Amino acid sequence: MILAAIFLVAAFAIHARGVSARPAELRVTERDFHISAPKQVASGDVVVTVTNQGPDDHELIIARATTARLPLRADGLTANEQKLAPATVLSLEPAGPGSVRTARLHLEPGRYVLFCNMAGHFMAGMRTTLVVRSR
Amino acid sequence: MSPLRTPRSAAVLNPFAARSRSPIAAILVVFALFSALSVGLSIRSTSGSRHSVAVVEVAGRQRTLAERYVKSVLLVHEGRHGDPSYTADVLRRSARALLNGGTAPAVYGDDDETRLPPARGKVERAQLQQEARLVHDLAATGTALLEHRPVAAVRLTAHEQIATRNPTQRLEILAALTSNVSLNAARTIAGTADRDIRNLITLQVVLGIAGLLASLLLGWGLIHATRRQTAHFRSLVTASTDLVAAFGPGGCSYVSRSVTEMLGQPEADLLGPGFARFVHADDREAVDEACANGQAHELVFRLQNRFGEWRQLEAHVSDLRSDRHIRGIVLNARDVTERVRLEDELTHQAFHDGLTGLANRALFRDRLDQSLSRSSRTGEALAVLFVDLDGFKQVNDTLGHDAGDQLLEEVAARFGTAIRPSDTLARLGGDEFALLLEEADEALAVTIAERLLERLSKAILLAGREMSLGASVGVVVHTGGPGKSEDLMRHADLAMYAAKKGGRGRYAVFHHEMGRELGDLFGIEHELRLGLQRGEFSVYYQPQISLGSREIVGVEALLRWHSRARGPVPPGQFIPIAESTGLIQPLGELVLREACEQAARWSREGLLPESFVVWVNVSATQLTGGGVGRLVRNSLAAAEIQPGQLGLEVTETAIVSEDAGGDRAMRELQELHDQGVRIAIDDFGTGFSSLAQLRRFPVDMIKVDRSFVQGIEHDPRDEAITTHTVNLAHAIGVLALAEGVESAGQLSSIDELGCDLAQGYLFAHPTPPEEVTRQLLDQQRARSGAAV
Repeated sequence: MILAAIFLVAAFAIHARGVSARPAELRVTERDFHISAPKQVASGDVVVTVTNQGPDDHELIIARATTARLPLRADGLTANEQKLAPATVLSLEPAGPGSVRTARLHLEPGRYVLFCNMAGHFMAGMRTTLVVRSR
Repeated sequence: MSPLRTPRSAAVLNPFAARSRSPIAAILVVFALFSALSVGLSIRSTSGSRHSVAVVEVAGRQRTLAERYVKSVLLVHEGRHGDPSYTADVLRRSARALLNGGTAPAVYGDDDETRLPPARGKVERAQLQQEARLVHDLAATGTALLEHRPVAAVRLTAHEQIATRNPTQRLEILAALTSNVSLNAARTIAGTADRDIRNLITLQVVLGIAGLLASLLLGWGLIHATRRQTAHFRSLVTASTDLVAAFGPGGCSYVSRSVTEMLGQPEADLLGPGFARFVHADDREAVDEACANGQAHELVFRLQNRFGEWRQLEAHVSDLRSDRHIRGIVLNARDVTERVRLEDELTHQAFHDGLTGLANRALFRDRLDQSLSRSSRTGEALAVLFVDLDGFKQVNDTLGHDAGDQLLEEVAARFGTAIRPSDTLARLGGDEFALLLEEADEALAVTIAERLLERLSKAILLAGREMSLGASVGVVVHTGGPGKSEDLMRHADLAMYAAKKGGRGRYAVFHHEMGRELGDLFGIEHELRLGLQRGEFSVYYQPQISLGSREIVGVEALLRWHSRARGPVPPGQFIPIAESTGLIQPLGELVLREACEQAARWSREGLLPESFVVWVNVSATQLTGGGVGRLVRNSLAAAEIQPGQLGLEVTETAIVSEDAGGDRAMRELQELHDQGVRIAIDDFGTGFSSLAQLRRFPVDMIKVDRSFVQGIEHDPRDEAITTHTVNLAHAIGVLALAEGVESAGQLSSIDELGCDLAQGYLFAHPTPPEEVTRQLLDQQRARSGAAV
């Protein structure tokens, strides 16, 4: 009886752990000059899948920010990544059209900005906000 | 399918086919194909690379131009000098040329005009389309700024949503976007070119490997085919029973494996100078010469095998010294030992008599021709002797052919001791022998003829009996000078006939009168046949007299030939020929038929006394040949006479033969005798009949041979034989007739001996039937007169 109870508890624990470890999916599509992504996602581990539908090369940076109006560099064309560095949770280098990339990250609840920081792209519309809700 | 038609799939062994050519050609074709493909791809790729470089240069230039355009617009906008419209134009035309192909314009102080191909890749085209749109947006924004129109109101075409309304910043953002997409397009184009080059390198490597593999495969096929071809040759050479040997300066340089089978000698023993050791000493010079000069010809030589036997080899010599694969003289030899032996044997058989081993007629004739040829040059004399055995036929008939053969062998052996080693003794056939004496005059020829007869004088033991045999020898001497072998042989034959005619056991030397006397005996057979057709034969009758009544009590029918060409021919000349040629059968029938018909005529005329018998000779050949009984009965029936009116005279030889023919003869005679036909034994005392045979033979009369009757007055032996014969006849209850009675003294003697009948010239010669008719009429009249 005691042994059976131990097995039952262990099985439940494993099941509960498996459910809690499953990451959320975040599908991001980039194209000239627009980023499509869900507006909300649950906090915790997130698997980000980034697809570039071109025709230009694009990168993807995710930074925690309260607003999409990010600080710019002096050129007025690109966001200031140095200033955003402490808040940056993901930075994917430029990839060509047709590329699909995946990244796993842990997102705390809060407000985030997803953007491409190639010259002019941020300013030309390649930015979107994401709200990470606590579970 | 006909067996003569070869199915297409049938493998035909053709080791001499030039198999190596097709693989080599295939290898060359593959190399050419792969090389052409490789070069073509390289050219195409190089050309593509050149275009790619130009495209990358122009695409890269767009970035600089976009930045230059922004500076130029801002300078003009600030009132300073600039030409933004020119830069915008270059940007637009370059963007079009990059997308659709064409000429990208020159940039002052920088580049020349550049021909560009249209963009090919999907990504490349999408980027260049985007670039063209951005160039359009950039130029439109710059123009609006310079024209002091609201920049934010410019309709943008590249899906950009610029977040600022600041004209200068908008212009710089558009320039950055244009620059960025141009750079990316250039990278894409360069990447495509890189990929093409990588693909080309990969393809070149694959092509190289494939070409190498194909070449290796074909090379392997070539090696395999060559090996197979070599194996075919090796098999052909080694499996052949022929001996192949190659000779160089150092002697035998190669010998095929067949030598082991042929000679039992290991190959190594024949290599180098070893080959000569096995060649027969007499042939060594010829072999050495052939191996030295290599003239193509056939060579026959002997090689010794390991058993010490000499094998005859027939070789073809080929000079292959100029052949770089051989560099020597090649002997291709076959073992012809058996063939040579067979040829020798056949040659010997063709020129020698199988029974006695003596030369045959062909060889004798050849030797005679050669001797005559020598004689015509040197004038040397030579002689030819023809020997015919007397009484051989009787031996053959009575003792059988085996005994006859034995006799011939013995005679050949005895003759061999009578001649010189240089003389040629031959058996021409049957019981005829011939002897060629070179450098011989008549005296020597006669000496040797006498010696031959002397050798035969000793009795020969044959089948348990001692036989005494005679021979007739014809001698012809050629005194030298030209001559013909056929003349010599014919003359020797004539001389031999002359000797035979002269009596037994003698020789005769040819002289030219002899030819005329004997005539051409060899033509008699032909004339006999003609004579039969022409009716040249007739039957004469010689009366037989009863010594008691002195009356004609019978006649012997005798065949006579009056040849149109020769005139009357004595029976002694043509009867033996008729017997030997089989013509005795139709002649015998003729006599029998004629005699029966004559008897019928006399009978119808009432001329025949009681018990009158017409006697007809029946030869041994007729008797043993069979059919005599039927012939006699047919003749009797045709003539309608009684069997008792006909008598058959047979020789002892005919009745003593112990073979099947003799049995049949005896049976037929017995049957005829049972039917009433009379039987007499002719020439009694000259044959080999025994009393035992005589006792069981159905005989009515014994005729004492004329040779005894003629000697009865002077020779006690003949008298004794005659006496005994007559007594014998009486003892077994038959009549005795004396043949050849020619004188009154002989008649007196036989009369005294108690002989019953007589026949001979003393009473009457053989005469035509008309003469006998006359005598019978006289006799009838005399008897009638006496009765009266």
